[in-house]
Amino acid sequence: MKLKEYLKFNNISNKDFSEKIGISAVSLSRYISGDRLPEKSIINKIHHITDKLVSANDFYIEDGDSQILSKVQKTKVDDIHKKLVKGEKKSLAKAITLIESSLGFHQLESDYLLSKIKANNNTIRIGITGVPGVGKSTFIESFGMRLINLGLKVSVLAVDPSSKTTGGSILGDKTRMMRLSVNKNAFIRPSPSQGHLGGVAKKTSDSILCLEQAGFDIIFVETMGVGQAETSVYDMVDIFLVLLLPAGGDELQGIKKGIIEMADLIIVNKADGNLKKLANLTMQEYKNAQNLISNNRKDITPEVLTCSSIEEIGLEDVWSFIKKFVKRRKKNNLFYETRKNQKVNAIWSNLNTKMEDYLNNEKKLLKMWKMKI
Amino acid sequence: MEKTKDFVDWQNLANKELKDKDLRKHYWETPEGIIVKPLYTEEDVKNLNHKIGLPGLPPFTRGPRATMYTNRPWTIRQYAGFSTAEESNKFYKEGLKNGVMGLSVAFDLATHRGYDSDHPRVLADVGNAGVAIDSIEDMNLLFEGIPLDQMSVSMTMNGAVIPVLASFIASGEEQGCSREKLTGTIQNDILKEFMVRNTFIFPPKPSMRIVADIIEFTSKQMPRFNSISISGYHMQEAGANQVQELAYTLADGKEYIKSALERGLNIDEFAPRLSFFWSIGMNFFMEIAKMRAARFMWSEIVKEFNPKNNKSLALRTHCQTSGVSLMEQDAYNNIVRTTIEAMAAVMGGTQSLHTNSFDEALALPTNFSARIARNTQLILSEETGICNVIDPLAGSYYLESLTSNIVEESKKLIKEIDEVGGMVKAIEMGIPKMRIEESSAKKQARVDSKEETIVGVNKYKPTEKQEINILSIDNDEVRKKQISRLKDLKQNRDNNLVKSYLEKIKNVASGAGNLLEVCIEASKNRCTVGEMTLAMESVFGRHNLSTKTISGVYGKAIKNDGKVDLIEKELDKFIKENGRRPRMLVVKMGQDGHDRGAKLIATAFSDLGFDVDIGPLFQTPEEAAVQAIENDVHVIGVSTLAAGHKTLVPLLINELKKNDAEYIKVICGGVIPPDDYPFLNDLGVAKVFGPGTNIQEAAIEIVKIL
Repeated sequence: MKLKEYLKFNNISNKDFSEKIGISAVSLSRYISGDRLPEKSIINKIHHITDKLVSANDFYIEDGDSQILSKVQKTKVDDIHKKLVKGEKKSLAKAITLIESSLGFHQLESDYLLSKIKANNNTIRIGITGVPGVGKSTFIESFGMRLINLGLKVSVLAVDPSSKTTGGSILGDKTRMMRLSVNKNAFIRPSPSQGHLGGVAKKTSDSILCLEQAGFDIIFVETMGVGQAETSVYDMVDIFLVLLLPAGGDELQGIKKGIIEMADLIIVNKADGNLKKLANLTMQEYKNAQNLISNNRKDITPEVLTCSSIEEIGLEDVWSFIKKFVKRRKKNNLFYETRKNQKVNAIWSNLNTKMEDYLNNEKKLLKMWKMKI
Repeated sequence: MEKTKDFVDWQNLANKELKDKDLRKHYWETPEGIIVKPLYTEEDVKNLNHKIGLPGLPPFTRGPRATMYTNRPWTIRQYAGFSTAEESNKFYKEGLKNGVMGLSVAFDLATHRGYDSDHPRVLADVGNAGVAIDSIEDMNLLFEGIPLDQMSVSMTMNGAVIPVLASFIASGEEQGCSREKLTGTIQNDILKEFMVRNTFIFPPKPSMRIVADIIEFTSKQMPRFNSISISGYHMQEAGANQVQELAYTLADGKEYIKSALERGLNIDEFAPRLSFFWSIGMNFFMEIAKMRAARFMWSEIVKEFNPKNNKSLALRTHCQTSGVSLMEQDAYNNIVRTTIEAMAAVMGGTQSLHTNSFDEALALPTNFSARIARNTQLILSEETGICNVIDPLAGSYYLESLTSNIVEESKKLIKEIDEVGGMVKAIEMGIPKMRIEESSAKKQARVDSKEETIVGVNKYKPTEKQEINILSIDNDEVRKKQISRLKDLKQNRDNNLVKSYLEKIKNVASGAGNLLEVCIEASKNRCTVGEMTLAMESVFGRHNLSTKTISGVYGKAIKNDGKVDLIEKELDKFIKENGRRPRMLVVKMGQDGHDRGAKLIATAFSDLGFDVDIGPLFQTPEEAAVQAIENDVHVIGVSTLAAGHKTLVPLLINELKKNDAEYIKVICGGVIPPDDYPFLNDLGVAKVFGPGTNIQEAAIEIVKIL
């Protein structure tokens, strides 16, 4: 709650309170009015003295209804945006951190940043999913390097599952994309998902916008093919790739049926060495199955290809298909329509997240109410 | 089990003496999952999984030789890593005067990874952890005045094994010692590199071909030389328990036999020259049992390949006291630890032994500490009378029962490896690595929650600070010296000849023929270690490791003594203020591949609630800084073991400054001499953590720093 409300509620005078935390009454009134932001240590003190009812967020939002940024914040975000346009990676990194932050004033700042970003339809957003061990990272590494050699700038957003018990996570993607991670035309950012799927959707699609603003032509969004995450990833990309192992049906692969049906392109990876034959067999199997399901697609039939990320075979075909796919979809307008729909969906999903956050905060109100009684 | 009346009486009596009246509560489950009872009787040795037998005879449980130490004690072999060939040479000569019977060469990290000292990637690695060898010229300096036909030389080399062994053989021949007279051992154990130590160069397949090339060459032309030292040492160092160490090492050995047989060699041509290498830790009886079980099991394994010569069945081994058991805190305790470990190695019947110096958790040993380490062995061999009896603990109810348990447990692990199609396959699937990391995380959790005592570290901590003099090296100086020597070499050789030899190496690499053979000629003609490696690399490629990590193990094994809650509270506060969890990038810069520490930190911190990014192995400071900035982490945790901190950390901090990213904090952990702490703090390092740090306490401190 706002500090002003807290003091009013508890009948504490500004003077008493400022003495309690060891600042001048003038400073306190500035903090209350929002003219100035208190330092971290003072926020901490206030937080504790008010029994955690007043927290950092409460200082940045001037009013519950009109959420306006302070001048300081605006300048900060303007600066980030200016550098983002120039393609500076540090500002890009900071921008994504803002987007991912759970703090209210960070959300405000990122909303402001996003409002300054213009849509760019010349990029390709590629979703990639597959079970652990299928070689997603190795594929992105080989394929991404190839695209960079064609003169494109390539970025990768990776969503890692957070541990359920403590919420920490290990983000090791860069160790699997060694060449890409040190290339100046590439940017890789693994993100902890914090066990919050709806939130990831919004945050990831906002991050995509930042990457596009920073001049990246290709945006890979990598996710594990075992949970629900891919549905939300599907809803933020232009083309959805599913990677499979050279092996029998879906059950053996451990991948859910619905995911195969979402695929625009199925790639049987690891078609190298003595797995080549099996890979071709798997490809054929999926091609047959694909013919049955894909009838309801209006424009372009999903393709099944084999590739070897290690021997770098078959990557050319993947790129040709993606180009063909995007060209066709731009021609029949579906490309633009999909992006538009996705934007609307993102707003809804964002709304859901916000509702959840709000209800979580409600606990505080409850506590306050009990205190009064 | 049949219970005699006496035994029942004892049981009743014992239960009465116990406070909780229940003997079963006093069973000890070892980290290997073996249940140790408070008392062993003759009942326990009635159905053993192994045969005890007699020394010198199959199955060799009691030792590979009939007389063991009664004829000649074990070889005192001290491994030493001095930065330059000249200094190492001096050290060897000093040791030879003082009872050392064999030389042991430690190479620097650049050499291990096949880089010459002038390569840009090894800025901080030249002269670190051992001697820099760029060419035959350095080898000649290393062995100057040491007759190689009389002195056994052991070389710890796995990655750049071909060019280094080639330079050694060539140097011997220039000295006038023909190859068949050379004695000693080359480690040449690449499988464990892929498993734990990461000092590989090429991918697994060509690496195994190189192993076979060496076994083939030595078995035909160097009859007195051990072609391979199959090592469990680094597994235990990486956190493996004794059963894992034993099982995976024997499984490695089996794989080497198979690949030599595929080469068309006869088992009796090479099996007698295979040697082993164990780590000896603080679990005294377990270590002795491990060594005896190993000999029994190896003889059984080799028997499957139908050798005619009994010598093929005998396992000979080198031992080294455990490096991870050395602690930075209360460091003089390490002398005692090493003594107990050395005693276990001797009771277990080792053929040669290295005892660690007490200051090795802090830095490279000084003359003073090296002398104590050496004397530990001399005292054991000449003052105690242990040498007068062969396998003195044989027949002990406890020891034989333990040996039998180890045989049983290791067989299970070996079976698992066999079932997936052998060690190469298992390594590709990451099975042993995963198991070892799991065991390492559990061990750390036991120490952090004081289930396992380490005197002076988690219990009985010293109240006063001790001053310990340590050795520091200036590796910049070493590098400059090496580079100028390389320059001279390249000016004074026939560069056309060099080119033609490098072409020949490429041809052999892509076709048939023996790589060691061609490289001996190449090094005689002054091709450098780096050049020969690069020639092979152009055919084989350089292997990159994809880092797999485990999670949840540390978190599950830790006992909640209130610290976990405290961390959670601190984290909650942090998230409220910053909008996300503390995010830490764990990096391992330079050519040191020991990633146990880094992995452990990563999994433990993520279990405690951090978001942890992991950098690839062998990163440069520039690459690490870029990754930290792009991932927008709060802090970089530098894991360092091999003295790289003096060069690499300043470079990293400089890179951060250059990018205006000083908001990213830097902390260091690992083997860092306390004398260097002020140097690092002045640079801007927020905190330095030594070996034996309690991870939970470290986590709390880090959150506070941020």
